[in-house]
Amino acid sequence: MPENLIFTSKEIAFLRELERHKVEFILVGAAAAALQGAPVVTQDIDLWFEDISDPGIQAALRKSGGIMVPAFGQNPPTFAGNSVKLFDIVLTMHGLMSFAEEKTNSFEVSLGKVKVRVLDLARIIKSKEAARRPKDLLVLPVLRDTLKTLKRKKIRISLPS
Amino acid sequence: MAMRLSRRNIMRLCRAHGLSLNALLKRAGVSKTAFYHLLYKESVLPRSIEAVAAALGVRASVLLEEADWESRRALCLLAEADRIAGSDPSMDRDNVRHTLLLLEEKPIERLQRSLIRARKPDLHE
Repeated sequence: MPENLIFTSKEIAFLRELERHKVEFILVGAAAAALQGAPVVTQDIDLWFEDISDPGIQAALRKSGGIMVPAFGQNPPTFAGNSVKLFDIVLTMHGLMSFAEEKTNSFEVSLGKVKVRVLDLARIIKSKEAARRPKDLLVLPVLRDTLKTLKRKKIRISLPS
Repeated sequence: MAMRLSRRNIMRLCRAHGLSLNALLKRAGVSKTAFYHLLYKESVLPRSIEAVAAALGVRASVLLEEADWESRRALCLLAEADRIAGSDPSMDRDNVRHTLLLLEEKPIERLQRSLIRARKPDLHE
């Protein structure tokens, strides 16, 4: 399936520019869980950046026509503009270790022509258990069942990275 | 005409599923010995089938059909969901079944299924 059935051309451009500028990020949250086989739905794709001030992010935004809205009050920084509004910025993951440490718990997945690093499902579950927001508590049973199914089938959804 | 296993087709399908040959055999529960025995056989069909095809002047594949493949596949999946969910009472059988179905797809297809994006309504009168 071509990636442009999921992403618009500008969203693909954004991801490819992040890749080209070697911006360190990991796909986390429900979208990452779905990539690993969890039957869940989501409205956005959470990107956990190692360093939100990485100039490569601004370069990728310029190329794709998006902007970053700085943190405001209780609101974390967000992307704005049609080309990037699908993506949410994540700065910290509740209950997990640092980005560098968690990177060892991630793997690369090919989404058509774009490769993204995805956080392992077990770590997504750990983070949601720590965050304990109502929406996390609702989805946790499904994620746990998916993880158990993967283990029973001895499947690891990963590519050598 | 002899019907042989196609190594090329198998490897192509392995690549499409992101599997090595070893991983495929492990998943299928087929030993390497059994696989290579079949791979190097002159024909995987019984000699009598080849003979019937030859007598009719047709390829042996013309005589074959898949026996309700889709329903057998669905039954296998349901049985596997039962087996996995049955091993742990805390698991929901539907979650397992849906996960197994999603695992048959590529990651990008799983992501597409998960994403809810607003769509323009159809306004045909």
